[in-house]
Amino acid sequence: MRKHRYALGATFAALAIVLLAACQGNTGGSQSGGATSNLKIGLVTDVGTLDDHNFNQFSWEGAKAGAQAIGAAAPQSVVTTQSADYAKNINSFVSKNYNIIVTVGFALGSDTTKAAKANPNIKFIGVDQGICVDAQGNPDSTFACKGDAATLLPNYQGLVFKEQQPGYLAGVVAALISKSGHIAAIGGTATVPAVPNYMIGYLNGAKSVKADIKVELKYISAAPDAKAFNDPPGGKQAADGLLNANPDIDVLFQVAGKTGNGVLQSACEHNIHAIGVDVDQFVSTPDTAKCTVVSAEKKLKKAVSDAIQRVKDKKDKGGTITLDITTDSVGLSPFHDSASMITPDIQAKIDAAIKGLKDGSIKACVETPFGSCDNKNGQPPA
Amino acid sequence: MDFILHVPVIGLLLQFIGYLVGVMTTNGSLIITLSTPIALGALCGFMNERSGVVNIGIEGMMLFAAFVGWYVAALVNGGAPTSPGPLGITFPLLVGLLAAIVAGVAVSALHAWLSITVRANQIISGTIINIEALAITGYLNLLISQNPIPSAGNFQSFHVPQGVASVPVLGWLLTTFLGHGPITLTMLVLVIVLQILLFRSRWGLRTRAAGEHPRAAETLGIDVIRLRYRNVLLGGVLAGLAGAWFTLEYIGTFQGGMTNGRGFIALAALIFGRWTPIGAFGAALVFGIADALGQAVSFNPPSGDLGAVLSGVPEQVFSALPYLVTIIVLAGVVGRSIPPAADGQPYEREAKAT
Repeated sequence: MRKHRYALGATFAALAIVLLAACQGNTGGSQSGGATSNLKIGLVTDVGTLDDHNFNQFSWEGAKAGAQAIGAAAPQSVVTTQSADYAKNINSFVSKNYNIIVTVGFALGSDTTKAAKANPNIKFIGVDQGICVDAQGNPDSTFACKGDAATLLPNYQGLVFKEQQPGYLAGVVAALISKSGHIAAIGGTATVPAVPNYMIGYLNGAKSVKADIKVELKYISAAPDAKAFNDPPGGKQAADGLLNANPDIDVLFQVAGKTGNGVLQSACEHNIHAIGVDVDQFVSTPDTAKCTVVSAEKKLKKAVSDAIQRVKDKKDKGGTITLDITTDSVGLSPFHDSASMITPDIQAKIDAAIKGLKDGSIKACVETPFGSCDNKNGQPPA
Repeated sequence: MDFILHVPVIGLLLQFIGYLVGVMTTNGSLIITLSTPIALGALCGFMNERSGVVNIGIEGMMLFAAFVGWYVAALVNGGAPTSPGPLGITFPLLVGLLAAIVAGVAVSALHAWLSITVRANQIISGTIINIEALAITGYLNLLISQNPIPSAGNFQSFHVPQGVASVPVLGWLLTTFLGHGPITLTMLVLVIVLQILLFRSRWGLRTRAAGEHPRAAETLGIDVIRLRYRNVLLGGVLAGLAGAWFTLEYIGTFQGGMTNGRGFIALAALIFGRWTPIGAFGAALVFGIADALGQAVSFNPPSGDLGAVLSGVPEQVFSALPYLVTIIVLAGVVGRSIPPAADGQPYEREAKAT
């Protein structure tokens, strides 16, 4: 029996070494040439993985780019596997005296707010987090947002994108390339504002160029869980079901992270056009590039990197920073191989929409005071 | 929800049954496709547990096999387009499938060694496999995604000829049960073959003996240790196939954690199906139908009273239904589900006289 204990111990040790080696690979410092900085940067992802070819991954690349730009050591990451672990994962960096902590995703907003209040000397950057606090600087679950985040939490930059704008442009493209007049979008969950923002923008954009177009907006999950954002087979199942029931749909927009990569796969197999989300999915998910016409992008990498640069330059201010099309922080990706589909007429209509969104003459949706689409006055989710 | 009381319940129930049948008819093929990893995972568990080894590492085995199969296929393919044979079969995909199976067997060998030879706690062994598979594949995939390589594509579904498919009933049956890729078709065959072997073959009898009363089996001349090793390794073949379904058949590309708990659902299906292949497959279908129902309600809600009632039900309820049924089955309310008597107990030969 004793021998066997050793064997088991040896197995554990071997596995531990493998893991350790794996972690080491991740942290190899990459100092850039010019500037140096001893700021330590940590990043906490939402439920998912760093290799999602999407939201988490490009925020992570932004953190890496930001670290390199300011000459800091390569950032560390904690990948969240359960939403209950957000606070624990943030605190793992707090306890190790990290200087900048990036948290990725709307769902981490509340825990990031608490951590920012408790640790005024640490800089927090929240991706997709509109900061909503009460007069004491605590997270406000009633969304009255009476407190002034910029003065109460000067160490917390909340980065928010107007997803409705690239969504609107995606809708314009979808309506113009659709031959059947029936298009669809599949979102992860309506409970994360970014998702309905994209989808309502898509609907309004499509209607703006073809008033009689039929647009299906479907949500896969009722909660921001793994099914919504981390389950490619589930996404493909949803899209297969939708496309089998509606064979005339010929453009499909995915707003579901990694789950949505299964949606793209389904679109490819049904020989219809797909539209990617968040990043240029023609590049990031090459296996579905052949049917990905364009992607509705938010420039995650640049936004995170810029926020880190502001900390280094001591120009950072607290509060919600809304990134929109006027600074080209959101927009459409290049058309790549699909460029031939975009006739001068279609291009002119896209340009007109971009111009309208920039000068404010076009609203992508009816917005709430916080810059999200108003589900009640705009279009209901599903 | 008090308006329910004003609606005739019987009528509503009939409407619901009609709706459910509609969902099952239109989504039949999809339900069977999606049941593949669950059924194959459950068969892997069946091979293990019937001979007395608990395996909760199915999720990790599937994920690891999915990764290895995908990567090997992509490497062999090398980005070159190959002309696919029937069912989208290409040489790189076949090599990938083989690699996935080898990967499944390799992880199973670790589990077998820990649980049979070392006599370690089998739950811990399975847990290690789940955690390590998620971490190692996620990390390797992150490395690969720095310089993404094109995947080798995926197997295609068998297309029932249009003329036959349009025949009423028969056409539906054929497209629902045969309109699949090679791994799903293999699963359907394996369910039947293993069911027959379990109750009609010498191997089945010995496996059941080793799982129920290994000492008695040993006294009758069965080498329990060897039998368990063989079964666990064969289970690895099935887990490898299940993993290959993700990356070589249904999706065609790998992403970290893409099995998303289906290995655990497979365990539930195994229990729900009372440790038999047909039962496990039936349970996998029940899980699939509940899933399809939940999606249909949110995507294409029925009209009228039924629609009003169903849209008031949170969709998580539909996803939770099979688990509730599993609990009811486990509790013995509707026919008890009893595991093999020696399941999870390491077998130790009688000590030699010293």
